[in-house]
Amino acid sequence: MLSQRDKEILTNKDFDKLVTIRRRVSWSFLLVLLGLYLAFGLLSVYFPEVLARPVFAGGVVPFGVVMGYGILSMIFIATLVYVLIANRYLTPLKRKVIAAAGKEQ
Amino acid sequence: MNVTAIIMFFLFVGVTLVITVWAAKRTKTRSDFYAAGESIGGLQNGLAIAGDFMSAATFLGVTALVYSTGMDAMLFIIGGTLGWAVILLLVAERLRNLGRYTFSDVVAFRLERKSVTTMSAIGSLAVAIPYLLAQMVGAGALIQILFGMPYEVAVILVGVLMTLYVMFGGMLATTWIQTIKAVLLLVGGTILGLGVMSMMNFDFGALVTAAVSEHPKGSAIMAPGVMFTDIITIISIGLAFVFGTAGLPHVLMRFFTVPDALQARRSVAYAIGFIGYFQSLIFIIGLGAVVYVTNNPEFLTADGSLIGGTNMATVHLSKVIGGDLFLGFISAVAFATILAVVSGLTLSAAAAVSHDLYANVICDGDSDRDTELKISRITTLVIGLTTMALAILLEGENVAVLALIALAIAASVNFPVMFLSMYWSKFTTRGALAGGYAGLATALILVLLGPTVWVTLFGFDTPIFPYHYPTLFAMLANLSCAYWFSVNDKSDRAFAEIESYDAQWIRSEIGPL
Repeated sequence: MLSQRDKEILTNKDFDKLVTIRRRVSWSFLLVLLGLYLAFGLLSVYFPEVLARPVFAGGVVPFGVVMGYGILSMIFIATLVYVLIANRYLTPLKRKVIAAAGKEQ
Repeated sequence: MNVTAIIMFFLFVGVTLVITVWAAKRTKTRSDFYAAGESIGGLQNGLAIAGDFMSAATFLGVTALVYSTGMDAMLFIIGGTLGWAVILLLVAERLRNLGRYTFSDVVAFRLERKSVTTMSAIGSLAVAIPYLLAQMVGAGALIQILFGMPYEVAVILVGVLMTLYVMFGGMLATTWIQTIKAVLLLVGGTILGLGVMSMMNFDFGALVTAAVSEHPKGSAIMAPGVMFTDIITIISIGLAFVFGTAGLPHVLMRFFTVPDALQARRSVAYAIGFIGYFQSLIFIIGLGAVVYVTNNPEFLTADGSLIGGTNMATVHLSKVIGGDLFLGFISAVAFATILAVVSGLTLSAAAAVSHDLYANVICDGDSDRDTELKISRITTLVIGLTTMALAILLEGENVAVLALIALAIAASVNFPVMFLSMYWSKFTTRGALAGGYAGLATALILVLLGPTVWVTLFGFDTPIFPYHYPTLFAMLANLSCAYWFSVNDKSDRAFAEIESYDAQWIRSEIGPL
């Protein structure tokens, strides 16, 4: 059974905001990254020539290597942005929820 | 015999033993032993996490994969980093908020403690022990080549050191050893990468051109398909990396060494920085090895193959870049890497026995502190002795199957059960048990019937199961059983478990109040 305090947390608007922001950010970042990885896998099986093609006409570095490093950079950027969002919005919201729950006790 | 390597190695061992003595004095409680007193900061824990992941398998194995297949290795390089994004975005903070010392705590948060903990402890052991054994056998062979010492001596040396670190120093010693090794590895990798690039005048195109012209497969290495050509295999490898990483018990244990969820988040963010940086060096180092090692008579045996096998490509490259001094450094770093990773694995296996099975299943959560710590130390000793003996018996065997089993089980037993217990309110004990054991059985049976065991080990002509990697099927088995048995579980216990999801959800978001 939910305690009275937990019931109040569930109806707390800040808690709702915390959960919603975290859910949206986490899942959208994750889907983009997983999608890119899956795309790399699909390309390497069904369209290997796309990954093998040089990025610049006459160049030697193939698209697959650039895409690989591109996905690595996307992981870096996603990490950075998530941490910034978490520090800027999620941690303060969490503190507010905890403070409110403490007061109601 | 490489004198530099031996001096550096003894220096490392000396420092780690001093750390172990220091840590032993500070390891008194269970929290000290399992979680370093929850006192590790985000940056250091990030380094230690990166250290756990950057094993000899990554440093030497993935470089070897770049060396022999070129672009196909990108699947490993991206997957190995992406697994950490999964941990950051879905798992890390919740894990810290819900658990105490092991991920079994999290699974058992609202489910029936004894049966669920037993299952996840089996999952932990089924990952840690084969992985440990694979590392030990690989380590013995590697040290034999690097230091010229007999295989048995090398295995015993690694086994004795890891047992000492864990038995006496617990998580505190293991974390510091892992941290030091991570720094050494990052320094070594950076010098290798910079060395290759400077020989190429920092022109990546020139590196690619040179690699293509030196490699026996020529321009095929700059296209996919040298090694992996079917989509099932690629998806299984991808799943094993992306979700298996979040199911490795020794990695998950690290999230309990920090004081709170904020530091847990910080740890993974730093870890992703270090791991991603290292992974991006791997491709350059691998191509560098293609250019400077492939056709270098100094590193070839009489029949033209690489001395010590492709896993030695990185080590040979280090000699080209920095002579005997740097070769010694890289050899010592490779040894340190193995030591640190096997220590972490041993500790997670010991915790699965003493914290999960003894304290939570046998004693029903009410165990005596000193007895529990004694049991974890005895377990450590038993694991140390057993793996040493097995590693000596397995000398020269193909142990790739062990690492394969470990990652497949991590992805198809531990991760789905942990993920569903965190995110799916209708997940019940019955679903967890059915899913977990179905994933375990499927992974084991498919590896047994697959090409690695059925053909290579048993000597049959054709495998019954055509794929090397079972992850896709084993994950599906787990998820479908977990779903079916949960939604059809109409017991009172299931009802209570579903009802207590909200309380767990609140706790996972904001931590203990």
